Parts: sequence; C-alpha cells; structure tokens
Amino acid sequence: MNMYLHELKSLRKSTIIWTIAISSMALIYFSVFPSIAKEAENFKKLLSGYPESVRAMLGISLDNITSILGFYSFIFSFITLFGAIQGMNFGCSILSKEVRERTADFLLVKPVSRRAIVSSKLFAAFTMIVITDIIYYAVASILANSVKTEDYSNKLFFMISLTLFFIQLIFLAIGFVVSVFFNKLKTVLPLSLGTVFGLFFIGAFLATGDNDAVRFISPFKYFNPAYIIQNSRFEVPYLIAGAVIVIISITISYIIYTKKDIHAVS
Amino acid sequence: MSVIEIKNLTKNYGKARGVIDVSLNVEQGEIFGFIGPNGAGKSTTIRALLGLIHPTSGSVTIFDKSCNEVPEVRMEVGYLPSEVFYYDNMRVIDLLKYSASFYKKDCTQRIKELAGIMDLDLKKKIDDLSFGNKKKVGIVQGLLHEPKLIILDEPTSGLDPLMQQKFFELIGQENKKGATVFFSSHILSEVQKMCSRVAFIKDGRLMKVEKMSDLQENNYKRIKIEAKSSINKEYLKINGVSKLEIKGSAADFIFKGNINSIMKKLAEMELTNISIDEPDLEEIFMHYYAKED
Repeated sequence: MNMYLHELKSLRKSTIIWTIAISSMALIYFSVFPSIAKEAENFKKLLSGYPESVRAMLGISLDNITSILGFYSFIFSFITLFGAIQGMNFGCSILSKEVRERTADFLLVKPVSRRAIVSSKLFAAFTMIVITDIIYYAVASILANSVKTEDYSNKLFFMISLTLFFIQLIFLAIGFVVSVFFNKLKTVLPLSLGTVFGLFFIGAFLATGDNDAVRFISPFKYFNPAYIIQNSRFEVPYLIAGAVIVIISITISYIIYTKKDIHAVS
Repeated sequence: MSVIEIKNLTKNYGKARGVIDVSLNVEQGEIFGFIGPNGAGKSTTIRALLGLIHPTSGSVTIFDKSCNEVPEVRMEVGYLPSEVFYYDNMRVIDLLKYSASFYKKDCTQRIKELAGIMDLDLKKKIDDLSFGNKKKVGIVQGLLHEPKLIILDEPTSGLDPLMQQKFFELIGQENKKGATVFFSSHILSEVQKMCSRVAFIKDGRLMKVEKMSDLQENNYKRIKIEAKSSINKEYLKINGVSKLEIKGSAADFIFKGNINSIMKKLAEMELTNISIDEPDLEEIFMHYYAKED
C-alpha cells in the first residue's frame, strides 16, 4: 500500500498535465462543432472533395459527420492518439525510472518482493489512467451536451469514450513490457512516441481497406466508432485481441522483472 | 549462527568479470571487513547478497534465507550503497518516512535521533543536498529500522573526517547492541580500526580471510627514508623488510612485523627525511601472492 501511494504521488503531476491536455483537445474540437453543424451541407461538400481513401484514413464518414456522434468519432482518433502516448509513457517509465533515477538500490532492497513492486506500480498507473478517463469523459459529455443541435445516445457516447480507456490500457501494457527489456532506459519519450506514432500511422495507412486481418496490427484500429454507432456493441475479436495483448505483456513483465539483475549505478 | 553465508558464489556478466567461486561466512555479532581494489567484485558480492542480482551459480543467504526467495528477510537488513540516490523531489523526512513504512514499526524517534547525530536537516529537499549530505540521508535510511545486519558498501566516501568518525561510532554502537556488520572498502586502514575479520578479494576471487588480530601483528608499513650518506643495503635487510629499493642515500621498502625492530634500526641512522605510510592494497596483495607462490 505504501508503494502504491508513493507511486500515485509521483504520477500526480503528469496525470494532471495529461488530463488537461486530452480534455482541452476535446474542448478545441467541440468548440468548432457549432459552426460545422450550421454549415453542414457546405462542410460535407468540402469533405466529399477529398479522395475516399483519405477520408477513410481520417475516419470521416460523410453520412453523420455533422451529428454529435459522427463528429465525435472523427475527432476521437486524435484523442486516442494522445491517450495512447500517456498510457505508453506511464508504462515505459514507471518501472524503469528506479534504474534511471538510480533509486533501485533504495526500493529493491526493501523487504518486499519484486512482484509486489510491479503490482504497486502497475495499479498506480492503472488508477491514474482511470482518473484521467473519468475526468475526460465528464468534460467531453458536458461539452457535447452544450454544443449539440439534437439529442444523441448517451450510451453510444459512453461506449466510444470507453475505447480511450481500452487503448490506454493496451499501450500501458505494451510500455510496461518494453521497458523491462532495457537494462537502463535513459529516456522514455522517444521510445513511447515512436511506438505510438508508428502504430497509429500503420493503422491509418494499412487499415483503410476492408481487410479485417490487417486491423489486428494496430490497436488503434481495434475499436471502430462507426461500428459502435451502428451496432451498439464492440467488435468481439478485437476486444479479445486487446485483452490478450494486455495479459501477455503484463505476465511477461512480471516474469522478467522478477528475474532481472539490477546493476550498480555507473 | 552464520548471519551471512556465501557458498561458491559465481556471477558472470557476459564477458566482464563478476566474481568467481567466492565462499565466506559472517558470524553473528562480528564486524566483517571486505577489502579489495575497485572493480574486484565487492559490489557484485553485496548485490548478490541483497538479491539485486542473481548468482550464476552458488548460493547466498542471509539468516539462512535467500533474498530472492524470501524478500521479507531484508526486514532485518540495513544497506548503505556506495553512491546514494533518492527521489529528488522528496523532502528528507518524507523519504525517511517512506523508507520506514516498509519495516512495519514506528521509527520516528530513531529518525530524529540519527538525524541529530549526523547533523542532518530533515526539512530540506533531497535535490538540494550536497553529496555528503545525501550520504547522511543514506546512513539514517540504512539504520532507522535498527537492523540486525548492516551492509555497508564503501560507506565513507563523501563524508568529511568528523562525520566519518561519528559514523564509525554509530556503527560501533549498533554492533554493541548486537548488529552484525558487513563492511566493504578499498582502504585497509579504515577497516582495520573496527573489524574483527577481513576478507580480501581481487579480480573476482576471494584471496584470503584473516583475523584482524593476525593482520595487526603483521602491520604493513611503507617506509621511505633519506639519509645523509648512502645507505648500505645489508643494513636494512632485517626480518620483515621487503621490496627494498635503494637509490644512493634514499631507500624505499615495505615493512611487516613489529614496528619497534625497524624503528631501532632507523634510529641509529642519520636521516634527513622519513615518511611512514599505509601501503596501498595493491602492495599488500602482492605480498599475499608472494606468500602463496
């Protein structure tokens, strides 16, 4: 418990910053919604000038871009991008920082198992991501409600927002497992930005067609808002794929971290 | 009962050498010195002891248990690393409280006491501390839970002589209260003052474990003299003198044994200059090699 609280405290600042960043993205996007809704026809015409593939890449669906949910699913890919960076950053840094900041000689000689250390850190990062998402969801709902032109389904809005949490969880787990393979991870940001952007663009470029298998490559493509709006449910195979990534990554992290040698600072 | 038991410990770091086949026991209540030049494998041994690294082969136990299998055994261990690093944005007192929270007992009183002895400002941020002051945080942090085994890895680097003395007094007191101390250093004289036994490690191998009382009889001194006239080599060749080098009126040698015998010899000479130093470890090791060959 003491480690969990300590980790929460150490994540506090960056959680606040990420929460503000992600929420203000929602704010900026939703603030242009009224003008888009007003000029709906012109906007659609403008977008239809884009090639089909570009629209697919950006996740634009002409039919409902001017409804709240349609608009939300369009902007949501950018929000998940930010969210994924947060998740990956937390995952990469929370275990590796003990070696990076040379505090491993403090924490790892305490009378606690490595497993307990991993668990505390994992749950602390998990908690902070849940907090980020709850605040984000509250902000996004308030914004959507204040700019809406007609009523929309709260349930669907919630389901789309929930995928932010899923994606963050996946990237948290990926970050976790990547970090345990490094003896000393000097900086986290290049690694996490690289991985997240890499997967994001792979998702954007490769998964524009109808090939469902390709979508497994990028977690960004696991949750398709258009599908959620149409069917009011998630796509089960991708949900499972996400869960598998999380479970495997975390299991490997536990195993490796427990067996790892912690070398002297130099 | 052996507090520390190391059996045939070998640790390979790929190409780099770790330690090879090290075995030693540390008994309850002793102050055990662990001596060797930098890079000899002192830290590797200590890190294996604490469960920070895993032995390639052999076993390491504290109170009959391995840290890797039973992490709780570290409840009774206090460790001071050679270089101390703590969470920079924490205040000293918060760090110490965090450290204490692992040991499931109230250490507030002890923290105040130790901070008083070491003259440490508890309200400062770790980030703002000098190296020496960080070391003090390390000392308090290592002792606040009154551990039964204290492991010190080159503890005195960065401490001024006054603090060193206070530190040794503190360790002495803990030892009197029953704590066993395992103490690594590359300075023999530092260890000499306190330890009951010392182990020498070099190039990853344990050279020798000696009782301090034996070592003290074999007091090693590096003696340099300059005389008024040229020195007769035969005159200085008494029992215990080794590595004798004479350049005209100057001589340089290592003396081992009863100091009085050499002092008497020297007193009969007309000297212009003399220096008597602790020989460095390397030189003593050379001696051990010579003895074993």
